[in-house]
Amino acid sequence: MNRLDSIPVNAVPHGAVKHADGNARAILQQIAQMLETLLTTGETGSIDLHALPLSPADRTFLSESLGTGEVQAEVEALGKSRAVETGISGVWWIVHHNADGDVIGEFVEVAFCPEILLTPVEDVRDGLDALRARLFVAGRNLAGHGEDHE
Amino acid sequence: MSDDTLSDYLKARGISRRGFLKFCAATASMLALPPAAGSAIAAALASARRPSVIWLSFQECTGCTEAITRSHSPSLESLIFDAISLDYHHTLQAASGDAAEASRHQAMEQNRGNYLVVVDGSIPVKDGGVYSTIAGRTNLDILKETAAGAAAIISVGTCAAFGGLPEAQPNPTGAVPVSAIIKDKPIINVPGCPPIPVVMTGVLAHYLTFGSVPELDSLNRPRAFYGDYIHDRCYRRPYYDQGKFARSFDDEGARSGWCLYELGCRGPTTRSVCATTKWNQGTSFPIQSGHGCIGCTEPRFWDTGAFYKAISAPIGPVGTAAAVGLAAGAAVGAGMALRNRAAKKRAKEGHRTITTDDLEK
Repeated sequence: MNRLDSIPVNAVPHGAVKHADGNARAILQQIAQMLETLLTTGETGSIDLHALPLSPADRTFLSESLGTGEVQAEVEALGKSRAVETGISGVWWIVHHNADGDVIGEFVEVAFCPEILLTPVEDVRDGLDALRARLFVAGRNLAGHGEDHE
Repeated sequence: MSDDTLSDYLKARGISRRGFLKFCAATASMLALPPAAGSAIAAALASARRPSVIWLSFQECTGCTEAITRSHSPSLESLIFDAISLDYHHTLQAASGDAAEASRHQAMEQNRGNYLVVVDGSIPVKDGGVYSTIAGRTNLDILKETAAGAAAIISVGTCAAFGGLPEAQPNPTGAVPVSAIIKDKPIINVPGCPPIPVVMTGVLAHYLTFGSVPELDSLNRPRAFYGDYIHDRCYRRPYYDQGKFARSFDDEGARSGWCLYELGCRGPTTRSVCATTKWNQGTSFPIQSGHGCIGCTEPRFWDTGAFYKAISAPIGPVGTAAAVGLAAGAAVGAGMALRNRAAKKRAKEGHRTITTDDLEK
């Protein structure tokens, strides 16, 4: 990708849309509704930002309106994923990258904790099995160690 | 069909559940499904058996295979492509000769009624189909034999979907698309020359997830990928609306990145996700690279006029005329139909007919 980036692009953007055309505002309304649902029913919600036409101005308006909160988490799974809690608690900005660093998905998630950060139940089960196996091996090694001294 | 599930397969390749979840979220986004569908896809894919896929390459240039196998790994494309059990693909498989054909027959027998057939390339039918043969048998013969036990057929690329380049005038080999031969199986057309890799795999992902054919348009193309005109999703669209056009490839307009309509861009008549999904890991797409769209996802795109001539378009604003009628409150029912007919007539009169002289210019 570096070589592609190094090709100079001389096109001068003219007359690009400079104002948020309203989609950002609509998204904020939707987020407010999702927060209300989260509070009353506990149901989480998600908005796919790639599915919506957003001008750069819309994006800026959206991210500035939400601000930045306390939590920033990074997940390393098939490339990096970043989950950032916005200044509005319970509203998370999730960006998925692939191994090459390209963005493959961008979502606004309304939840107490975004799904990507929660440990899957199956993983907990696998973890328990792995820990038991390690305890078993450790126990056997200890026992083996004891025998050497006898 | 392989016995292990997709999740077993991915796990064996060191892909974690979080990675899988993320992959499913991105797949839902790609298929234009609501974000909540990501979890549904994860649940369905986790228990899906890897389907047997037989890939038939007929009258084609191998560009479609090149496109799908040239994705950087581990990408969505490679994950899905790896997740199928590709039992026959004569360009990619190690086996050759009798062994190769034997593996196709084996896959057909073991998975009768359940395997997927992917076809790239058109099928020549003139003179008994002699213009393209594999192992001494015509493409026509092999397609009929293989399609008989298939669950569905995916026609990848414009050649398999609509005939493509081989079918262009004067069509010396009598090339036809898959749909002209196979009438009794679901056929999904994934046109493009080549199609965007993630579109090819997106269709596979949909089939794996829901076990069904995605919603198709009148040309049997999945709506998720062929629902919008490139023009309507193009970042240069504001220039079209402002009447700012590049008039040659090196003028001020071209340098300023203005609309390429007058240079023959087919964006307004071509349905594809090129402008949003883009190519080469989202790097760019033809219009962004300064060249108009050539309309490669549409039937007979080779024969619809010179690529560098502006497409004929209505001069009068059809949509506006109809909208004004509606606003006036007079355009309900028959009134609306009349107005639309009048608008249509004006549009028809406004069309510039392309003659053979235009093609030679």
